[in-house]
Amino acid sequence: MDSSRLRDIAQWLAGAAILLGCERLGRSVSETFSLPVPGAVLGMLLLLLGLMIYGGVPRGLAKVSEQLLRLLALLFLPAAVGVFYLRDLSLQDWLGLLAATVFGTLLSLTLCALLLARLLKNASTDGGAGSDD
Amino acid sequence: MTELLQSPLFALPLNLCAFLLGVAIYRRSGTALLHPIVTASALVAAALWLLNISYRDYQAASGLLYALLGPAVVALAVPLKQNLPIIRRAGWPLAVTLAVGAVLAPVVAVVTALLLGAAEPVLLALAGKSITTPIALALAEKIHAAQSLTAGIVVFTGVVGAVCGPPLLERLNIRDHRVLGFALGINAHAVGTARALEISALCGAFAALAMGLCGALTAVVLPLLLVP
Repeated sequence: MDSSRLRDIAQWLAGAAILLGCERLGRSVSETFSLPVPGAVLGMLLLLLGLMIYGGVPRGLAKVSEQLLRLLALLFLPAAVGVFYLRDLSLQDWLGLLAATVFGTLLSLTLCALLLARLLKNASTDGGAGSDD
Repeated sequence: MTELLQSPLFALPLNLCAFLLGVAIYRRSGTALLHPIVTASALVAAALWLLNISYRDYQAASGLLYALLGPAVVALAVPLKQNLPIIRRAGWPLAVTLAVGAVLAPVVAVVTALLLGAAEPVLLALAGKSITTPIALALAEKIHAAQSLTAGIVVFTGVVGAVCGPPLLERLNIRDHRVLGFALGINAHAVGTARALEISALCGAFAALAMGLCGALTAVVLPLLLVP
């Protein structure tokens, strides 16, 4: 009973360490080669590569990631509160912003979805039944 | 007293309470308009205003949450890996949509704002509107856009996409969770991905894939275009 509990905790810690390690690694790679890609994105790609080579997801890493992603909205909260502190903008700026974010986002979202739906449909009729795999 | 109000000891419980309350309200109401991030940020802003705490102090005190954003981006690799077989099968349509979407999202936004006569700082901040906040902030630094404005636009874009996207696509008779997730990930980044994870694991995986790849692609290409 107790030892399985300890193992759970160890798995959790190992998962958290993997995430932090990948972020660090990604950041230092990005800095060393002064790449325009942010470190965390490189870290994500490195972890993905590592998991593909490893051939699975360690249990602790899966658990920690799931929890972290569930709290994503909380992590964004401080940045989101900044919306209430935007003051030095003209009316035209506000109109432009509102139109671009509401209309622009929904337009490009719809176009992306229609394009992908069409492409997936074509791919499945062209390729026939499971010839791809 | 003010010292306590400006410390993480106050800011972190405030964030957590607002978030939990936001989630509870969201579950009760059942409408997508009251996404937790909307109510939670309004609650926090109201609390800061009532207690006379400046946004800068609050932001500094919430450093732990900012610090966790990086590992959260890395954690997106896990749903990607778990859904790799499905993603692989849908390979090239995804690549085409990604390339088109990564260009389309900022271009539509900037052109719309330009037509309505918005000023240059606004246009620059809009360029990173559809990509996840940590990437957008890093990008804003590279193209000299205002960080606070960028963060606000990014989150607002995410909320609009996450709130209106799924019902809009359902109207258009698009019910494929792969399509929904991918469109959300490209256009509404992490807020959209959080919404997609609520819809289904498959939807979330496609959103995470789109968000990660779109963010990386935009973060690589945009500085090359805008920095002389």
